[in-house]
Amino acid sequence: MSRKRHCLVPETFGLKRRRERGPVEADPLRGESGSARAALAELVQLFPRGLFEDALPPIALRSQVYSLVPDRTVADRQLKELQERGEIRIIQLGFDLDAHGIIFTEDYRTRVLKACDGRPYAGAVQKFLTSVLPACGDLSFQQDQMTQTFGFRDPEITHLVNAGVLTVRDAGSWWLAVPGAGRFIKYFVKGRQVVLGMVRKAKYRELLLSELLGRRAPATVRLGLAYHVHDLIGAQLVDCISTSSGTLLRLPET
Amino acid sequence: MLGFLSARQAGLEDPLCLRRAESTRRVLGLELNKDRDVERIHGSGVNTLDIEPVEGRYMLSGGSDGVIVLYDLENSSRKPYYTCKALCSIDRNHPDVHKYSVETVQWYPHDTGMFTSSSFDKTLKVWDTNTLQTADVFNFEETVYSHHMSPVATKHCLVAVGTRGPKVQLCDLKSGSCSHILQGHRQEILAVSWSPRYDYILATASADSRVKLWDVRRASGCLITLDQHNGKKSQAVESANTAHNGKVNGLCFTSDGLHLLTVGTDNRMRLWNSSNGENTLVNYGKVCNNSRKGLKFTVSCGCSSEFVFVPYGSTIAVYTVYSGEQITMLKGHYKSVDCCVFQSNFQELYSGSRDCNILAWVPSLYEPVPDDDETTTKSQLNPAFEDAWSSTDEEG
Repeated sequence: MSRKRHCLVPETFGLKRRRERGPVEADPLRGESGSARAALAELVQLFPRGLFEDALPPIALRSQVYSLVPDRTVADRQLKELQERGEIRIIQLGFDLDAHGIIFTEDYRTRVLKACDGRPYAGAVQKFLTSVLPACGDLSFQQDQMTQTFGFRDPEITHLVNAGVLTVRDAGSWWLAVPGAGRFIKYFVKGRQVVLGMVRKAKYRELLLSELLGRRAPATVRLGLAYHVHDLIGAQLVDCISTSSGTLLRLPET
Repeated sequence: MLGFLSARQAGLEDPLCLRRAESTRRVLGLELNKDRDVERIHGSGVNTLDIEPVEGRYMLSGGSDGVIVLYDLENSSRKPYYTCKALCSIDRNHPDVHKYSVETVQWYPHDTGMFTSSSFDKTLKVWDTNTLQTADVFNFEETVYSHHMSPVATKHCLVAVGTRGPKVQLCDLKSGSCSHILQGHRQEILAVSWSPRYDYILATASADSRVKLWDVRRASGCLITLDQHNGKKSQAVESANTAHNGKVNGLCFTSDGLHLLTVGTDNRMRLWNSSNGENTLVNYGKVCNNSRKGLKFTVSCGCSSEFVFVPYGSTIAVYTVYSGEQITMLKGHYKSVDCCVFQSNFQELYSGSRDCNILAWVPSLYEPVPDDDETTTKSQLNPAFEDAWSSTDEEG
């Protein structure tokens, strides 16, 4: 503990000590440091599209981005920038107020249009996608915003809720949602518990990352072990310790 | 370091630069030191600590049994080993002692002649330090969780009190009565803090997940309700703004008053811009918070990058404020830590915990960082432990 801090001390005086770094083994999942956008591109590759018959856009989680971009503040700022530019949407997943799903706007738009094709609420959804989505990049919408700024009437808002595009948050405010995301959330919550249970049942409650990824995924883990491991690391549900044989995942004591 | 000193001597660098660099170096070297401890008086957990702002010499502590103790932190003996002595205490035999646990103590900001203490027995007591008598008592209908008096105010002597009810009460020390009430929260108020920059700005944190900033002169409600998602500001939206996804336990302004730190039971700590209420989105990671009442944490003062010391279970986590990086965890207490205070003159940290101890974290002396290439030189055995045997493998 004191070694790290004493290394910080010369830095405050403007001197930098250069040390020879031995060759660091690149673990299969760790060792990435890049921008949030590169992390997102990689994470959507991990998403199993075939499982949902391509009806859902590929969803990545904010905690997974933290696992790939080690500095969280930088990751948050980059995600906020992408959100402001309109390239991604951030969705509130229902099970945990802190878990945010991240979807590329293009994917979201195409999937939602495909999902509401031919249904009675298609008109309201199209109006929503064309007028509200580009204008307002937030996670939630308010009553007066929808009625006054964007000109939606109450029946149209009900259509949007029936379509699954909006979810009720409070009296007069709604979260943005993905139609059909219920199955994804069910698999995700189950899979997270199972992968965490795998670490918990190990001896001394710790597992080498390479060993965990090498195990056969139990049937309940439908989204893939790598997907869940990124999320667990980023959400700090397991501690990541680098050892000479790779990264070790250990359950925190508290 | 020598470069800094010679630059300062030659006038090339501002004197403040050297002071800030040295303060930062000392804070980075905080650890438990066998030469310094605090006398143990409390028989139950220490809930609150406060160091007087005038000299930084006297410290008050309040315990779960209602006992308040006054310590002298200054080392006037010439020896390095020093125990901070308790000068006096308000113990269970005192006629005016609090009946239940003392939650907050605070020195009068302008001198050490007076201090205030609030407790679960629904009272706020104002004490005279020299005679240890209560000068005034304010009674409330609900248990008092926290109180604070403005450190910079000269135009008013208001004490903001947060109780189990949703109304924040402001008590005036000059007149001895509650002057007014701030309405707006929906559940108990767990922490209150005045701004160290402006006389009339107050921040309150409540169990309904909201943090509100008030100007106490304004009659029509709070100035801003902090919103963690930084959504658009509009009047109707105010009711849905939450600062955290759980109860908000602790509040601390940075020493210049420009930013506000809040911790909540959703295990997050957030940094806000105190002038417009914007979430700066600095991410500190998981800051474990299991406390059901207020958590008292503190910010360093006078370093080049400020540090925040947060009680994290039975350790204290140290983060840089503006970049969110975790520097270290200070381990030493046996049970959960409830409060910590920073003494900015000597860069020392004092923390109180449920194991009835107050620990002093002192900057360690400068030791040269060992180079990996150099081999270890002479061994430093005490001559009493050296033996006269010599083994054939090594040189004795």
